[in-house]
Amino acid sequence: MRKLKTAYELVEAYRNGSLDPVEHAWRVIEEIGRWEGRVNAYITLEAPEAIIIQAEEARERYRRGEHRPLEGVLVAVKDNISTSFMPTTAASRMLEKYIPPFNATVVERLVRAGAIVVGKTNMDEFAMGSTSEFSAFGPVRNPWDLERVPGGSSGGSAACLAYGGCDLSLGSDTGGSIRLPAAYTATVGIKPTYGLVSRYGLIPYGNSLEQIGPMARSVKDAALLLEVIGGWDPRDSTSLRIDPPKLSNLEPLEPGEASLCVPREMVEGSEEPVAKVFWNLMGKLESEGFEVLEASLPEVSKALPAYYIIALAEAASNLARYDGGLYPREDVEAGDYWRHVAEARARGFGWEVKKRIVLGSYALSEGYRDEYYIAATKVRRLVRDAVLRLARKCIIASPAAPILPPRLGERITDPLLLYAMDVYTVVANLAGVPALAMPAGFSQGLPVGVQFMAYRLGEDLLVRLGLTVEEMTGLRGVAAGEG
Amino acid sequence: MKAKIGLEIHVQLSEAGSKLFCDCDSEYRKYPPNRNVCPVCLGLPGALPVPSKRALTLALAAAKAFNCKIPERIVFTRKHYFYPDLPKNYQITQFEKVGGAPVCLGGYVEFLNTDTWEWVRVGIRRVNLEEDPGRTYYEGDILTSRYALVDFNRSGVPLLEIVTEPDVRSPREARLLVEYILLTLEYIGATNPRLEGVFRVDANVSVEGGERVEVKNIGSTLDVEKALKYEIGRQTMIVERGGKVERETRHWDAARGVTKPLRYKEEEAEYLYFPDPDLPPVRVTEDLLAEASKTASRSPKAIFETVRKLGVKREIAWSIVSSPPAADRFLEAVRLGGDPQVLARMVGVDYKGELRERGLDPNDPSRWPPAKTLTELAKLVSTGEYTYDSIKGLVLPRLAENPGVEVKAVLPEKVSDIDSLVEEVLKREVKAVRDYLSGKKKALNYLVGAVMRAARGRALDPREARKRLMERLESMKEPQGEG
Ligand SMILES: [Zn+2]
Repeated sequence: MRKLKTAYELVEAYRNGSLDPVEHAWRVIEEIGRWEGRVNAYITLEAPEAIIIQAEEARERYRRGEHRPLEGVLVAVKDNISTSFMPTTAASRMLEKYIPPFNATVVERLVRAGAIVVGKTNMDEFAMGSTSEFSAFGPVRNPWDLERVPGGSSGGSAACLAYGGCDLSLGSDTGGSIRLPAAYTATVGIKPTYGLVSRYGLIPYGNSLEQIGPMARSVKDAALLLEVIGGWDPRDSTSLRIDPPKLSNLEPLEPGEASLCVPREMVEGSEEPVAKVFWNLMGKLESEGFEVLEASLPEVSKALPAYYIIALAEAASNLARYDGGLYPREDVEAGDYWRHVAEARARGFGWEVKKRIVLGSYALSEGYRDEYYIAATKVRRLVRDAVLRLARKCIIASPAAPILPPRLGERITDPLLLYAMDVYTVVANLAGVPALAMPAGFSQGLPVGVQFMAYRLGEDLLVRLGLTVEEMTGLRGVAAGEG
Repeated sequence: MKAKIGLEIHVQLSEAGSKLFCDCDSEYRKYPPNRNVCPVCLGLPGALPVPSKRALTLALAAAKAFNCKIPERIVFTRKHYFYPDLPKNYQITQFEKVGGAPVCLGGYVEFLNTDTWEWVRVGIRRVNLEEDPGRTYYEGDILTSRYALVDFNRSGVPLLEIVTEPDVRSPREARLLVEYILLTLEYIGATNPRLEGVFRVDANVSVEGGERVEVKNIGSTLDVEKALKYEIGRQTMIVERGGKVERETRHWDAARGVTKPLRYKEEEAEYLYFPDPDLPPVRVTEDLLAEASKTASRSPKAIFETVRKLGVKREIAWSIVSSPPAADRFLEAVRLGGDPQVLARMVGVDYKGELRERGLDPNDPSRWPPAKTLTELAKLVSTGEYTYDSIKGLVLPRLAENPGVEVKAVLPEKVSDIDSLVEEVLKREVKAVRDYLSGKKKALNYLVGAVMRAARGRALDPREARKRLMERLESMKEPQGEG
């Protein structure tokens, strides 16, 4: 384990002249060179010269005192977030050569805040997965243990943080895709309130569930990044009409300001080492004077199937557009329309994606729609109401994942085992509430993450609790490798 | 044989200004292929639909005009089918089941049967607002073409689907109903019915003892009548010969004037409908309804009744109402003090006739002079300064050529020396004079004509010419050479 500068510390150092953005950019480029061959966190990397030119511009801006909030900070962007200056593949052969003619709103905001986009990170194809193994560009490995997965689907965005290959990153979270990787790599990730961050430019998987969110090596960094990307976007009808949240100058939460509660159903299925680290942290919070209550959320048992039905139904619909027409594939022979479409989809999509399209179509088809899709939307309402009720009283705490990071290949052979990793995280997506995942501790040298959920737009509360927890664990700015 | 007819009328909101979910132009015809497109209407991954307020208002205005029950929330749904010109391979529409809500949940329309001058009521089952797809061009025939060219300029244009109850009694009434509905939408400012391909009709028709047959692809109001006549004739013949009319879908072949069975069997459609997660339900607010009501305030029926109350004959009144700019000019000119009878003739008969004769569109507002001009002309007639015929014969043709011109500039010079014209004619037309004097009264008409011709385009009241001629001729009859 080693400690790296957080983005917040970087900006401080740039500002007071103790660190040069160009020097730092070189250091990150070197880390990438050292690790990337083993980790495979990136699908596309910006050319070093291009990064350096931007770092030089940042240096100029600091010199002139014209620096913006993320001036000279190196940010990695998940490859399902559209960039007009780099391919955006969603880790699929289908979009291998696709360069969007527009930037996602979050990318526009990053660039306007002075951030330097280092590259596009590896992920599960179309964000469908929990381990980052289902990528057309090869699996991502966990820098803490290269035999293990970094979690998914935003595995690349977490892994590059964990080895120092970026300062901040953007992920997307449909059912835990930011929080699982954060938990598995000892990084911090926030799944924002649904509608807080624009989805414009995010290649959709489960539109009604997902949000783009910040990933970082500290809570304060994640808050800073969320402040930059959040707030109303007229291009996204589902975005909330609110100003960007103010999150980067908050104080740690004091005991008595809020209590925590742990729903039985969101911890009892955890593996022993995970439960141990989690309860250990809860004990520390209690000894600091925080109230930690036991609670129950029986609806959680139905959350996972409801989540998968809704996500897969939406995915089947979203992925219909990839028919080899507007996104042509060279390996598809000309034939009649139907053969052409079938062949393009057969060659362009990976197995997991095909499986999910079939399941999603099934859930929406005549005769099954009521039993699956409609039933799932009803369960979703139950889960949401239960979560909102509980979140009014307390911050909901649980492990971020029920297990330690699995080894490559260990989980993907059995879909039920694979999907079960999301059991604690999907709840926040179904309810639309914000959730923070951050390091709770280590077990056998592997990171264990904790998750906190709050009421809608309670990001400030989560950030303040996160600051408190970070002080207790001391796990700020940690990275894999020798220091 | 008695028939039951129900219609599905698809009308583009060509005057909405923008497409339904993006800023591209709703009037796509003027662009080269694929130049009226953006990420949203191309369905690029991550681009999101934002409903156009204008299109929603126009659709709600149509719902108001058709006396519809309007839901509290409008919910868009996705309808999936693979087709090359459907870029997302789903269409955003408003399917009522699975949680969708169209702009109209049922209403009725009363149209004027101008053969019987009765108002006829037809039920409207629903009206929904949806996206038009792009267009596919085949080399030759769809089945033999080696390739298809796709143009997305039309993709996303707002389209109203108006579904009537099977209340329509005859092909003639079907045509009049479609014309009336299009006129209603024209008054709202929603569409220009004369644009190529701006509307399309599918008809369901059955005769007693037979199944329902759907006739698709009828592109003009004349063809609505022709196709239904043909189809009812065909079905009647089958029934009379003791055969059975099967339930099927047929295609209207306008060039050959026949309906033809589709060459392939339509499979049971599986559209995987579900509410579009990118589009939150649109709340139909008081403001939105008020704006829709305001937009729908001009209906053909209301205007017809206003014109009739001014004492205008129904045929002329309908002629005025059936051209919205004519109705506007007429009512305004009456308000400015013009005589309704004179104006009705001028607007509803003669000026419209002048436009038609020139092959110009009487529904194009730019073809009409300002109301002020019409009032001036009507006053000249009412005060007896000019005859109606001289305005009709000498002014209206020049106005039709140049509607913007000042009255002064087109007003014909008046004949001031009528006596010398009479003398000139009497001197020249010796034979006619002799005929008249010898008792052939018909010769007078010839002489009046000669005087009118001698006026050479200057205004001269033929009654005045006749009067003067008579006086002179009578004086010639008086016994001569007594002294
Ligand atoms: Zn567009």
